[in-house]
Amino acid sequence: MRTPLPRAQQLRLREHQVFLVLTILIGVLAGLAAVLFTVAIEQTSHRLFGLAPSRARLFAVPPLMSVLTGILLAKFFPDVRGSGVPQTEAAYHLADGVIPGRVPFGKFITGVLCIGSGHSMGREGPSVQIGAGIASVAGRWIGLSPRRARDLVPVGAAGALAAAFNTPVAAVLFALEEIIGDMNAALLGSTVVASVASVIVERSILGNEPLFHVPIYHLVHPAELAVYAVLGVIGGGISLAFCKGLLGLRAGFRRLPASTKMLQPAIGGLVIGLVLMYSPAIMGVGYEYVDQALNGGLLFRSMAALCFLKLAATIVSYASGNAGGIFAPSLYIGAMAGGAVGIVVHRFAPFPTADAGAYALVGMGTLFAGIIRAPMTSVFMIFEITQDYQILVPLMVANLLSFVISRRYQPVPVYHALLQQDDVHLPSAAARASTSKTARTLMRTEVSFIRADTSVGIALETLAEHDEPALPVGSREQLLGMVTRERLEELVQDGKAAEPVGSILDDGLVVHVHPDHPLDVVLERFAESPGVLPVMSRSDARRVEGVITLDGIVKIKRRRQKASAQAAEETDRQ
Amino acid sequence: MGFAPRRHEETSLAEPVNGAQRANLIHREIVRLTLLGAVAVIAFFITRTIAASNREMSVRDAAEWYERGEAQLASGDVGRAIDSFRRATVKHRGEKKYVLALARALARNRQDEAARGALLALRERAPEDPDVNLQLARLAAEQQDVNQALRYYHNTLYAPWAADQADARRRVRLELVDFLLKNNQASRAVSELLALSTDLPDDAPIHVQVANRFLEAGDNRRALDQFQRALRTSPEEGAALAGAGEAAFRLGDYSLARQYLRRAPDTIDDVRTMREVAGFVISSDPLASRIRSAERQRRLIAEFAYARQRFSDCMAHVLIGRVMSDDERALDDQAGLFQTQLRTPAIHDADTIDAGVDLIGRLEGIATAACPPASPRDRALLLIAQSHGANQH
Repeated sequence: MRTPLPRAQQLRLREHQVFLVLTILIGVLAGLAAVLFTVAIEQTSHRLFGLAPSRARLFAVPPLMSVLTGILLAKFFPDVRGSGVPQTEAAYHLADGVIPGRVPFGKFITGVLCIGSGHSMGREGPSVQIGAGIASVAGRWIGLSPRRARDLVPVGAAGALAAAFNTPVAAVLFALEEIIGDMNAALLGSTVVASVASVIVERSILGNEPLFHVPIYHLVHPAELAVYAVLGVIGGGISLAFCKGLLGLRAGFRRLPASTKMLQPAIGGLVIGLVLMYSPAIMGVGYEYVDQALNGGLLFRSMAALCFLKLAATIVSYASGNAGGIFAPSLYIGAMAGGAVGIVVHRFAPFPTADAGAYALVGMGTLFAGIIRAPMTSVFMIFEITQDYQILVPLMVANLLSFVISRRYQPVPVYHALLQQDDVHLPSAAARASTSKTARTLMRTEVSFIRADTSVGIALETLAEHDEPALPVGSREQLLGMVTRERLEELVQDGKAAEPVGSILDDGLVVHVHPDHPLDVVLERFAESPGVLPVMSRSDARRVEGVITLDGIVKIKRRRQKASAQAAEETDRQ
Repeated sequence: MGFAPRRHEETSLAEPVNGAQRANLIHREIVRLTLLGAVAVIAFFITRTIAASNREMSVRDAAEWYERGEAQLASGDVGRAIDSFRRATVKHRGEKKYVLALARALARNRQDEAARGALLALRERAPEDPDVNLQLARLAAEQQDVNQALRYYHNTLYAPWAADQADARRRVRLELVDFLLKNNQASRAVSELLALSTDLPDDAPIHVQVANRFLEAGDNRRALDQFQRALRTSPEEGAALAGAGEAAFRLGDYSLARQYLRRAPDTIDDVRTMREVAGFVISSDPLASRIRSAERQRRLIAEFAYARQRFSDCMAHVLIGRVMSDDERALDDQAGLFQTQLRTPAIHDADTIDAGVDLIGRLEGIATAACPPASPRDRALLLIAQSHGANQH
């Protein structure tokens, strides 16, 4: 006779079953959302531009529509600018997977308007955020535990991406590699289920047409591997230019007064309108031109020009705060760069080579690996597109080189760097994997702050009163800097006791840690600190969660030892 | 932007609960999952309807781009036509008509690789499609790639054609034959023609088409056969009569040739000349069968005199400014000796007649080379000499 399971265990078991059913439903819903998103973009583009738009229309539509999306993004949906992938990662890692219902809705509306009005952006990133948002809302609505609801975020993202790109395996890998950041994640099964459900839905609606029609390519001559390696280096360079350009221009837009934020997308729209007048081929997602490049349908001059223009246009569209992704543009730029290299090689190489289309194909993967920094996803994505094993070796060679070059000169991946510009610091893989003591266990949450308008003299008294070598300036919500006792004493001796503390702060970064940083990082940073190490929130890098001091560490250690001893005594008494 | 962690306000499944709460929870989750499922089903049908409407819009756009492309191609604006056809293929993916039009335009713009790429992509989906293979064959033919062209033409011919497309299939084979003939592949062309001739309908123009190709490939016997089959269906078909006459002429059957050529209209090229040549061969050949020796002697004397006179006239004309070559002098001397021999009573001797025909041929050969053009009588004498030489060999 079977022993009935304890109630809590029964409930947990039941939650697993609910989670499985929900995974399928989320796969279906995310797939439907991705399909609808694609269709809505096409419809919008058709209605805004018609069949053969005039130059005036090409010029006018992007800025005018960007005025509308600028208002929507500034007033109603501030969390949906850009790709959506970084926001999804942040929600997964820092907010228990909570994505408010307005996010997928807002992303859908603004994404359709931005991409449909000609901005050089992709639909996959927004699809990921929409899918993840649907999953998050559904998980909470059903009543899953916070941990399980959080697990649904990558599931929804994989489902949406699988439908948006018609590549189920690449979608699963993307969810693991990029969103979760762990290829061994326990969510593999769930993401596969959602991805499959999503692709079934997508194919039943749109048919089983691959995204690109690509002839079978293969390595014609062993010496071609060297050329593919060169393509990898070129791809790495272009990836780097894209990342640096995007981050630089975005930083520039962010430095503009806050009052211009609503109009910034329109500035981007104006630039895009100008480019579209002379090169409509960079409009929107642009997969039809990628298809042409893959089939050898474009000339060298066209591909070289489109590579440059698409790169510049995407940087402008994204940096100006429009809603759309960089997934498709990276494939586009890669296809054009690879195709151009392929034409040169095909014409001048002293050995037989594959058609330019083969190089365009490898170029796509190369840029994806360099920009998105998801090398496994890129390899499998190309494989799913071509169904051809033979192109995998050149693809892996080129991808690896591009990835290495990009990582060498841009250590922070672009999605993480974009989040850092928004003061969100994602934990590294090492920090997530760490099971030892972290900054959270060592920090003191009671923190005294010196206000920025406090005079140097009073600040010195406050420090003496608290018997601290240094204190943070600002408030818990916004750290402005740190002042040390030595510095304040110097200023008082120089007769600057009446000056406000805010005016004497250094412009450089404050040495800090995040709550999940392991002990070795804490000790390393503590050595660089003035004796008080602030612990900053990851979701808002200006917010102070606590401080670490030498006394504090000793006190916490003693308190814990005392608590352990008491517990041991009680156990002995029992 | 901020991502402050939030706590779920509602009780979750994993939290410990009492019996009543648990029942409520389970009830709630079933209801909500069912609702979510219903939402998914409704969303599916709505999305499918919208996607279908979008698809229709794309198909309409594609048709319009195709029409534009055709108009641009007709007006010679190939570059814009290519762009239009491309857009059509993107809007209505997989539509063969658009890809074929694009390939055609690309080929016309000398973008053969791109055209081939487009067609190969289409062929991957439908390897046996005759239209796609035919376009690929034409592209290879354009590039003078005989093996590839032959491969794709054969793929086209052995594709599953509809029963009512026999004419189209025949035209493709004739196109292949023409390509092979143009590339000096006569024996391959004859093989194709043999395959074609086994399945021809009783239609005179078709037999004439096939017969003309046989003639061009040098298979005169089969050409004559096809012309005769055409004449059985349509006895007064001018092209068939002229063709049959030419085939018979080439076969050396001048009587039969004259028979057909007499009925053939003079408006057809070479009919009159061939008829005259055939007539001269029949009336002048000293070696003809079933003629009396007196007649044979008369022909020899007359034709030798004609040939010698032509040779002498030609030499007189061309020797201004140069002296006679050794060969020409030897031939002239030989002709003089033979003239003397002809005056003796024993010229009906077979060896003398053979030697005379041979000499006539050599005189005509040098005269024709030095003083063209050759008259029908000259051509007839050359043919008689050639025929005699061939028979002797």
